[in-house]
Amino acid sequence: MNAQIIMDGLIAGSMIGLGAVGITLTYSILRFANFAHGDMISWAAYFALAISTALGTLVPGLSQPLGPFSFGWSLPVGLLTAIICTGLLALLVDWLLFARLRQRGGAVIILVMAGFGAALTLRSFLEFVFTSKPAYFTNALQIARPLFAGAHATPDQLLGLGIAVVLVVLVHLALTRTPAGRAMRAVSENQALAGLAGVNVAKTIRVAWVFGAGLAAVAGVMAGLLVQIRPHMGHDLLLPLFAAAILGGIGSVPGAMIAGLIIGLAEAFCVQFIGAEWRAAVSFIVLVAILLLWPQGLFGKKTT
Amino acid sequence: MASPGPALQTSGLIACYERDLPIVRGIDLAVAPGEFVAILGPNGAGKSTFVKAIAGVVPVFAGTVTLAGHDITNTPLHLRSGKGLGFVPQTENIFTSLSIAENLQLAADILPKHLRALRIAKIFAMFPDLASRPGLKAGQLSGGQRQMLAVARALIVEPQVLILDEPSAGLSPKIVGSVFAMLKDINATGVTVVLVEQNVKAALSVADRGVILVEGQIRHAGPAKELTSDPVLAELYLGAQPQRKLGS
Repeated sequence: MNAQIIMDGLIAGSMIGLGAVGITLTYSILRFANFAHGDMISWAAYFALAISTALGTLVPGLSQPLGPFSFGWSLPVGLLTAIICTGLLALLVDWLLFARLRQRGGAVIILVMAGFGAALTLRSFLEFVFTSKPAYFTNALQIARPLFAGAHATPDQLLGLGIAVVLVVLVHLALTRTPAGRAMRAVSENQALAGLAGVNVAKTIRVAWVFGAGLAAVAGVMAGLLVQIRPHMGHDLLLPLFAAAILGGIGSVPGAMIAGLIIGLAEAFCVQFIGAEWRAAVSFIVLVAILLLWPQGLFGKKTT
Repeated sequence: MASPGPALQTSGLIACYERDLPIVRGIDLAVAPGEFVAILGPNGAGKSTFVKAIAGVVPVFAGTVTLAGHDITNTPLHLRSGKGLGFVPQTENIFTSLSIAENLQLAADILPKHLRALRIAKIFAMFPDLASRPGLKAGQLSGGQRQMLAVARALIVEPQVLILDEPSAGLSPKIVGSVFAMLKDINATGVTVVLVEQNVKAALSVADRGVILVEGQIRHAGPAKELTSDPVLAELYLGAQPQRKLGS
């Protein structure tokens, strides 16, 4: 077995996992599949690109690569700004669209269709402003370094993998050890009872949007750094994101991350042994297989 | 000295899921502080809808709900427990994916930080069955233990008024006895209790007063002991065999 396949799979899987954590959080609390999540990933990457480019232009020293990495301080600042801006964007979309439909008791299918509409609008707006031409956070070249058993990875890739693991642990701790996390879990199970227990459901839903958007922002910046930035980058990730969220079990943060890694590994093996053109089919096959054979996923609750 | 006002009062309360189909049709009820009131009546009488409207789960279309003199008719659902109103729904009354301790912590999160651990410790002292395994997922509890946890969760904020919607539903007679004894003990500490119940005999054995609803309105009310021995009421509203006829 080629260790490089595993390394490639883990790196791709960490990005998928982070996005899937956002999907699983919003899905379990808002109770609908938000197809605009992928476009939040794209918007986050462009937010970070705009800020880091502006900072790099104003203060050229901020673009100087940090240690072994390909980027300077302008990118971490851009990431933090992107997390805030994407959170605000998610709240804006919710206020303009989803909250109004929830208040009217809109059926799930209406929310899903509204999500499709929001996704198209967000994507088109990005294409209009930035065009479809790929963009990059940095032009610096990185040499992959040997790690183990012939596997190589760049410092940026290892950083992305590390950030994904740390973030998943932090989100898991936040959900299980903090009042806000308890409130989110309670709202995801029973909104009326959560209200009776004193939980402000509307506020908790807003927190869930910001959490999900923040994770989308990190996934977007990682994807932009490790691959490239395009208006369709988030949309192209949707299928693997949903496959990972469902494989992990809706509502399970560790499950989404582990499933993301599994999907990433499956894609890497597919590219190596079947062909790169079949890569996208892997997520689809995994998704269909789980829904047919194991609908509650790896760590999800069985529904009666 | 003037007597204190009602702990809970509804005036002309009209509540329904759809505006044109009122289920609760103008109920006036005053519950004194420390009183134990049983809301009784046949199926479809509007008992559950009445208490859900008080709790804020069902919309109120007319009338008012006051808690210790404060109008809470339009108070958002999540603020009612902090104002001293505890409500235990009939079903889905605990968070099964959370542990016993997390169910209690969630309810305690609205309290000032310094009170949270104290209140949880107090509740665990009241319910040693729950205290023995705080980390257990609530979904693994038995029916009686679930009711216990649901009541414990509502008591965390030390409510002035505790409302329960058919806590005996689905429980064995033995467990029903212990649940009702627990409610009597809670009432003895000064908590006003309003109990919706199908199990008339058990409810009247612990309540001070019974209120009988029929078609969304109060048809009759009186001391629990008198209602227990009234065979006509039993025949008309509670489904028991009559022992004498009206007017005889």
